Amino acid sequence: MSASLASECNEVKERYDNCFLKWYSEKFLRGTATSDECEPLFKQYEQCLSKALKARGIDSMLKEARDDNRENDAEHMRPKR
Amino acid sequence: MVKFYSQTDTYNYPFAAVTLAYFLRYPNPHATHVLSTDTISRHYDPATQRLTTIRLHLKRSKLPTAVLKLLPRSLLGASGAGDTQSYILEKSVVDVREGWMDTESKNLEFTGVLSVVERQEFRRPTSEAERELQMWQGMEGAARRHGFIKFEGTGSGGIEDSGESTEVRSTVTLHSHLGEKWKKRKTSHADDANPAETEEQHEKEEKMGFFKSWSTASIQRSIEAIGLKRARRSQPNAKEGMKVVLERLREGGLVAVLEGMRRDRETTMGSSHGFKSRHGHGSRGDGEE
Repeated sequence: MSASLASECNEVKERYDNCFLKWYSEKFLRGTATSDECEPLFKQYEQCLSKALKARGIDSMLKEARDDNRENDAEHMRPKR
Repeated sequence: MVKFYSQTDTYNYPFAAVTLAYFLRYPNPHATHVLSTDTISRHYDPATQRLTTIRLHLKRSKLPTAVLKLLPRSLLGASGAGDTQSYILEKSVVDVREGWMDTESKNLEFTGVLSVVERQEFRRPTSEAERELQMWQGMEGAARRHGFIKFEGTGSGGIEDSGESTEVRSTVTLHSHLGEKWKKRKTSHADDANPAETEEQHEKEEKMGFFKSWSTASIQRSIEAIGLKRARRSQPNAKEGMKVVLERLREGGLVAVLEGMRRDRETTMGSSHGFKSRHGHGSRGDGEE
């Protein structure tokens, strides 16, 4: 699995990533997913990561970029077929 | 002034496998400069069956000497040699029912110098006969023929070889905003002269002097041209990386991909040995300009 930018989150990230890959390949890709089953694990991972992002001062940069993204989304992320 | 790069490719793998490989593409032997990948947010909408993912990658990069020569160090936050780490924000939306995945990646830092936005559109090709079949059999039947992935690879391989392919259109947009932002700031400073900001303003005026001695527009053009050259060089590499992951997936399923990643990660960590963190460097500049 890819590493987390915060080594203290590697373990919880790996647990989440494993869950996601299983769900993605066995349910999502088959069109049988009814909900995101890995959400509880994601919450744990997110909790660890958000601390790390804050400590590194990346959180504000991220927020800015995501606000920009929202404005552009309507333009670029719509299905084109 | 904006520069633009665009290319269309075909992967000889089913759409489902390509989307999975996209999520698993780092690290790979062609991308040992990617230090980390984190999922920032993920949302599955059961109504549309679409999955939206936002990820943050940390990449080690070396700024081209040509760019270094054009810029004052204080603007780059990089070491004298141009070693730096940069964050890339990636957003993707997958619709497996309609057979498309759209992705967008952009740099989070140095956007004032050069903003690079990379977009990829993956499409499952549909033939006339297929569309008709989908209408009659419903989507699930159609999805069944699009190559499922087994979690554990078997001797016969992880992907059913359906002979299907996936089309991808990649575009890279490069835009240098150099000098633009700070023209605006200059005006606002003139309106209220806050003594606390004098030092900061002084620093800005130094940079202004630098830009004045050049034509800002020509520097922007040069930086965009260098960025474009880089994009052209890195695109085939990115495709090779995807192919390695897809090949592993075909050979041994997810288990083989994860095993490969583990090896690549060791290589990445090995090669990053001795690389100093960005924060350890004089991000305020060495006053050379």
